[in-house]
Amino acid sequence: MFVAPLLALVAVWAVVVPLFQINPRVFPSVGAVGTAALESIRDGTLIAHVGASLLRVGLGTLIGIVTAVPLGIAMGVSAGVAAFLTPLFRFFSVLAGIAWIPIATLWFGYGFGAIVFVIFNAVFFVVAYNTLLGVKTIPHTVRNAAASLGAGRWALLTEVLLPGALPNIVTGIRTGLGFAWRGLIAAEMIATNVGLGYMLFVARDFYRTEVIVFGMIVIGVLWLLIDRLVLVPLERSTIERWGMVRRA
Amino acid sequence: MKTLSLRNLAKTYFDPYAGAHVTAVHDVSLDVQQGEFVSVVGPSGCGKTTILNMIAGFIPYSGGEILLDGKPVVGPGPERGVVFQSFALFPWKTVLDNVGFGPKMRGVPKAERDRIAREYLALAGLSHAANRYPNELSGGMQQRVGVVRALANNPAVLLMDEPFASVDAQTRMTLQEELTRIWQERRPTVVFITHDVAEAVFLANRVVVLSKGRILDQVDVDLRRPRVWDDLVNDDEFKRLSARVLQMVRAA
Repeated sequence: MFVAPLLALVAVWAVVVPLFQINPRVFPSVGAVGTAALESIRDGTLIAHVGASLLRVGLGTLIGIVTAVPLGIAMGVSAGVAAFLTPLFRFFSVLAGIAWIPIATLWFGYGFGAIVFVIFNAVFFVVAYNTLLGVKTIPHTVRNAAASLGAGRWALLTEVLLPGALPNIVTGIRTGLGFAWRGLIAAEMIATNVGLGYMLFVARDFYRTEVIVFGMIVIGVLWLLIDRLVLVPLERSTIERWGMVRRA
Repeated sequence: MKTLSLRNLAKTYFDPYAGAHVTAVHDVSLDVQQGEFVSVVGPSGCGKTTILNMIAGFIPYSGGEILLDGKPVVGPGPERGVVFQSFALFPWKTVLDNVGFGPKMRGVPKAERDRIAREYLALAGLSHAANRYPNELSGGMQQRVGVVRALANNPAVLLMDEPFASVDAQTRMTLQEELTRIWQERRPTVVFITHDVAEAVFLANRVVVLSKGRILDQVDVDLRRPRVWDDLVNDDEFKRLSARVLQMVRAA
């Protein structure tokens, strides 16, 4: 029962706001948020904001994964490269995302490029570092087994290193996407005129707390949907099936 | 006809803890005939796994040579199949794809390698498990997959590194009986590493006793086949051979 705790929270909210007669400029009622939701759905602004945000996250994440996985595997194969780059990757993993917004806007200007860069950046370092860890966790005997069955370098990569590192790659994508999602909202507050972050930020100027809260709900729900509809099924059909992780 | 030939094989490596060079294998010479089943038995640290790893090409050797059908061995290769103590199956592949991996690496088309894999799975009584993943199988079944995965590649020599050491005692006896049956059917050339004297004698045509990196002695085993534990536990010749090998191993 995933939905029940969230509904409980809404119930508390529905009781508390009228009970204490909270000023709508401080926090909106459930009804006001519902009205704001219907309005933004009807006039098409919601779909425009959500579409812009998802496109940026999707593109930045895709570029991040496509570049980080090969690099992570290369690091995992070469001990020297890994030893040299590991401290750098740890450093940049912590720094990933939001901290890059100011310099990204200097490089790419305000808009699409800067935001995609921030997303890419949030995903890239985390995924690369986790891929490296994943390659290192593959037992030596499994690599030896592949070699003694005739696997060359390319087959070792595609048949052993990539699937063997997948549990960690998926963990990396999950963590990275979490950073990316937060980074996205922050970047959109500063560097654009469309998107969920922008929607929150503009609403603030007009004291429209119901729009802000609705936007926050959309941000949270979208993340849960991405997690449930994309990441969890991906894990279930691969690494859980293979017994490489256990579902908590 | 001899297939595998070790000549004055030696392995020395630097031990960073001891701060000195350590010789794990001294001057080992051994010929293995085609279709022969040779057990190499010895206590921990006698160098038996080191020898196997050198034949497999996983580690370089520091002296002497290893010849397979007259050609020196360099690095791992499909003509030397390996069965690992830890099974070393690919968790992300089904049992069928694990067994078909060697043929896949040789470029055998999908339909043909599935046919080969199914044939070998049937040999090990595993046909029902073809579409399962290794983690869904018991240890004994996983190692059956490990054995036929190596065999399905038709290696010139099958190298087995204490393959049954990590399964329970009852399963181990079943696996040993199955291995002798499969050997009789297919006649692969086998080098089988173990520290278990009864296992070494039960399986082999010849037992090589190793101690401190040298071959101490060799014992031919002419017990009739098929070999089954129920028969052999009370067999005088089996008991005599086992006692003799055990004596050598303990004195080693």
